Amino acid sequence: MTTAESSAPVTIPVERRFPLDLESRDGGIRVLYQAAKQDHWDPERGVPWDSLDPARIPHADRESARRVWSRRAWLEYTGLAETPALLIRFCLETGRESEPKFFLTVRNTEEAWHVECCHRIAECLGGYLDRPADPAREELFNQTLYREALDAAASLDAFVATHCAFEDGLEAELAAAWLGTAREPAVRSLLEHMQRAKRRHADFGWRYLAQRAPALEPAARHAVEGQLVRWIQTVELAGYHCVSLATGFDPAAESADLDRCAAAGLGAVPAAAEEAVFRATLAAARARLAALGLALPAFHHPRLGAV
Amino acid sequence: MNATILDARESRFPLDLAVRQPRIRDLFHAASRNQWDPEFDVDWAALDPEAFPPAQREAARMYWSRRAWGEYGAISESPALQIRFCQEKLSPDARLYFTIRSQEESRHAEVCFRMAERLGGYVEQPQVQFQGSVATHGVRRLALDPEVPIEGVIAALVCAAEEIAFDVFRHLIEITRHPVARQVCRLVMRDEVRHCAFGWHFMADRWPRLDPAGRERVRDAVITMIEKVELNGYHSAWLAPDNPASRAEVECDRLTWEAGLGATVEELEKPVFVDSIRRIRRQMEEAWGLRLPEFSHPRIDGRF
Repeated sequence: MTTAESSAPVTIPVERRFPLDLESRDGGIRVLYQAAKQDHWDPERGVPWDSLDPARIPHADRESARRVWSRRAWLEYTGLAETPALLIRFCLETGRESEPKFFLTVRNTEEAWHVECCHRIAECLGGYLDRPADPAREELFNQTLYREALDAAASLDAFVATHCAFEDGLEAELAAAWLGTAREPAVRSLLEHMQRAKRRHADFGWRYLAQRAPALEPAARHAVEGQLVRWIQTVELAGYHCVSLATGFDPAAESADLDRCAAAGLGAVPAAAEEAVFRATLAAARARLAALGLALPAFHHPRLGAV
Repeated sequence: MNATILDARESRFPLDLAVRQPRIRDLFHAASRNQWDPEFDVDWAALDPEAFPPAQREAARMYWSRRAWGEYGAISESPALQIRFCQEKLSPDARLYFTIRSQEESRHAEVCFRMAERLGGYVEQPQVQFQGSVATHGVRRLALDPEVPIEGVIAALVCAAEEIAFDVFRHLIEITRHPVARQVCRLVMRDEVRHCAFGWHFMADRWPRLDPAGRERVRDAVITMIEKVELNGYHSAWLAPDNPASRAEVECDRLTWEAGLGATVEELEKPVFVDSIRRIRRQMEEAWGLRLPEFSHPRIDGRF
């Protein structure tokens, strides 16, 4: 059971502040942190907003695109509470390295820039929507990940594997796909920023997992595998990132929005292409996990079959 | 284990992302434009550790290590405020701004760590007797406690503690002779200006919404921060309870100050600290009508 489903009070680990190790222990993550600092940009001036002229975009395309970009803002927003929780968790656990802590502070800023820019694009295209059209779909976004990150009963390594390695990896691949078809300059510019950041976020997850995996005891490995399975089965395959995968509701309208937004060059790919990205990312993750001695089983999707 | 805000399930919709507090959104944008990097934006080559006698070097590495511990509190604890902002659906501007504030705190920790390293090596911990003064300012616990109004945490942490730190930084820039140490203080202070501004902007919006009981709790939180954290030596070692460990830290400050490497000493900092408390009291009364009591400390004459 995930903590999001639990009703018991969450127990947070107790910090032992000293000795406070700030030395560099992992050069690879240190490099990611340094690269992130150097790759800073300004959401006001780092995107050519003037190029985004809604008057030149057909009304139906605009409407689809505003829904697509509003949904992205909702997804990006997850990091605003999740990342500080994860950062705190790294600080609370004795013996965790300094690099993840420094890196996560930059990651959270990048997430804030993404949120603001996704919102701005939606606003430009006719107006940001502050919730899904159907309230029943809201629960999919309310994953309470910040609680899971801070729950002493949940494994930090499992969280990193699931949300930093796999999930951020998927976001990086999706951003790359969207960028590949985007023609509008402001949208392209934002997606370039997002893609670079998300590559770093995913690199962080995989590097950290690779560092930790060899020393994980069997129970800890099971925890990692179990959390990945739960997340993919109950959240990803429910349409969290790739809405067309949803089976609990009919995603036809959202899929049509993606198709139209993609055709208009406004930073999307058709729903079928998103599914292909998901399948490829899942296969690649399964192979990387296997190399670390972690097993990710096949999943069954009612429409796609085994993935 | 007491209940925390984590016990409630997330409910993020309706998700407002519009500009609601323009002055805080401006701070977010200003911070985005004014990023700096401790690795590249400090003239490290100009800091020659061999130019200082071993005793001064040793003291300075301890002083800058202590500064790193203090900054680290903002990495380990203050991000809990960000969770609280999201959970309580406070203004989108605060939610966005606080992310970059945490990043700035991490680069402050990094730059202090680099200073300590340059001066002979970062020290991982204080003596046991001094740990009580610098181990925590308690913000994480307060931020996650649903019984503590968020306004109390911001008033205490930002409008009190960070204002004191800001005044001390300004003093340090005035008295620090070594150009690299002064450059570090300047860079940090540039960020602190925004941090403090955030607190007052945030409170200007929230204070009118508080009922008398809420306002009283804000007052209590500020008093606790001043009495239990600041007057206990969290930022200034000479305010810590007197014992051999805190005396050793005070001596480090003196040697570092003599070297012009960034510290100050009790006789110089005391009037700055007292003026800072008086300014905070005046500002809180003018802005919110909140009256702080006078404080006392064994090392400061009279009440202030």
